[in-house]
Amino acid sequence: MNVYIRYAFKETFANLWRNRMMTIAAVLTVAVSLSLVGSALLLKQSAAQASAQWQAGTRVTVWMQPKASGGEIASVKAELAASPIVKSCSFLTKEQNYLEAKKLLPPTEFSVLTPADMPTGYQCIPVIPTDAATIESTFKGQPGVYQVTAPDQQIRQMEHAIRIIQIVFLALAAVLLLSASVLILNTIRMAIFARRREVSVMKLVGATNWFIRGPYITEGFIQGLIGSLFAIGAVTALHIWYPLHNEFTLGQSAVWGTDIVVLALGVSIGSIGSAIAIRRFLDV
Amino acid sequence: MIRFENVSKTYKNGTPALTNVNLDIEKGEFVFLVGASGSGKTTFLRLLLREELPDQGRILEAGRDIGALPKWRVPYLRRNIGCVFQDFRLLPNKTVFDNVAFALEVIGRPRSTIDSQVPQILELVGLGEKAKNLPSELSGGEQQRVAVARAFVNRPLILLADEPTGNLDPSNSESIMALLERINRTGTTVVMATHDKNMVDRMRRRVVELEKGEIVRDQVRGVYGLDETSAQ
Repeated sequence: MNVYIRYAFKETFANLWRNRMMTIAAVLTVAVSLSLVGSALLLKQSAAQASAQWQAGTRVTVWMQPKASGGEIASVKAELAASPIVKSCSFLTKEQNYLEAKKLLPPTEFSVLTPADMPTGYQCIPVIPTDAATIESTFKGQPGVYQVTAPDQQIRQMEHAIRIIQIVFLALAAVLLLSASVLILNTIRMAIFARRREVSVMKLVGATNWFIRGPYITEGFIQGLIGSLFAIGAVTALHIWYPLHNEFTLGQSAVWGTDIVVLALGVSIGSIGSAIAIRRFLDV
Repeated sequence: MIRFENVSKTYKNGTPALTNVNLDIEKGEFVFLVGASGSGKTTFLRLLLREELPDQGRILEAGRDIGALPKWRVPYLRRNIGCVFQDFRLLPNKTVFDNVAFALEVIGRPRSTIDSQVPQILELVGLGEKAKNLPSELSGGEQQRVAVARAFVNRPLILLADEPTGNLDPSNSESIMALLERINRTGTTVVMATHDKNMVDRMRRRVVELEKGEIVRDQVRGVYGLDETSAQ
């Protein structure tokens, strides 16, 4: 076994060097294809992330009239608490709204307001963001309710667009992965075809199929590894310099996850590709 | 050592390569396989290597039916058979030493065995000085001697040679034949397919003649051709 491991490593590196143009071709194929696959995956996650952020930010605010009675406020509170589509609510006091208004209004307009003029309200998070409209229609016009504000149509359209973008990116990644596999398989097959003579001599002197396969699979593995390391570099660069970086902020863990996926794809395409490519020449 | 029992082989395109061949070759024998191109000599050798399976009949090597071997055992069968071909089949990017060492590496021999046996066998074939050369730097005769060294380095029971002198001039052919004879004297069974009339006539060994896939002659101390050649 020890002898074989030494033989396999010696052969692997000798072959990589001897066929360096083929090696470079295979590595570049893996690098370019997987950069695209990784970027598509990253963009897909960014879109998902952005969508989740927007959705998590969905709030429905039930504004009470400034002169609403304690009973009216209590009944709205009870109804919100009982509603199955409302996740949680927080009460906004007159003082809080007064401070909020101070931030939003120009000083000349703000100066005429007093905390007593401010409405109270309930800011609620729906269980499912799309239920915001239902909450809006339920509470609008109830006694003591001044107005209900929910995310407008625009945000909902944006979310719809993001879902489509996600699907497009995922489909793109899948297509790129398929073309990468075919390209890599073909590159490896050409490399092995160039060495079919060597394989036939090995068969002749009584090498077992696994003995012959070993160095070729290691070779494919190393080509896939180097290629995917380049791809990881490209994906990370995209993450750092992507122009929409701030809006699509992805956690470091998502980038790591993509890197691992790219690496796993690279080494498995390389080694499985070699195993498939050599099969034809072993069957003697 | 080798036994063919009613062996027939027809290729997929319908050409019969061997028809009902029965033959016994004893351990340590030297057998010439002669006949025109297409008479089935190469098929005979391919069957012995189990590169092909017979359609009918059995082939026994060292008492074992090689047709019954599972596929994964085939490499182990081939380790007992050395092969030499007309076109040498050396690896062009390996040195003479590495070409011979390759046959031992492939069957998992330790480095120490390789380092002691390869120079010894290269000395035997008279190429001790050229161990570090590449095959392209050698003459045809020298390349064939490397091939013989590779075939014999792990002391196989059987040595198959498919027209080993077909590409060589008479003096190089002589030296290859001398080598094969020497290997034969160590007890290795040698089967050699050839067109080399002079060689066969001079050696006076067993001659098996094939014609259209059938054995038409089997002589203990034979010559290359009978009627037409001896009549000339």
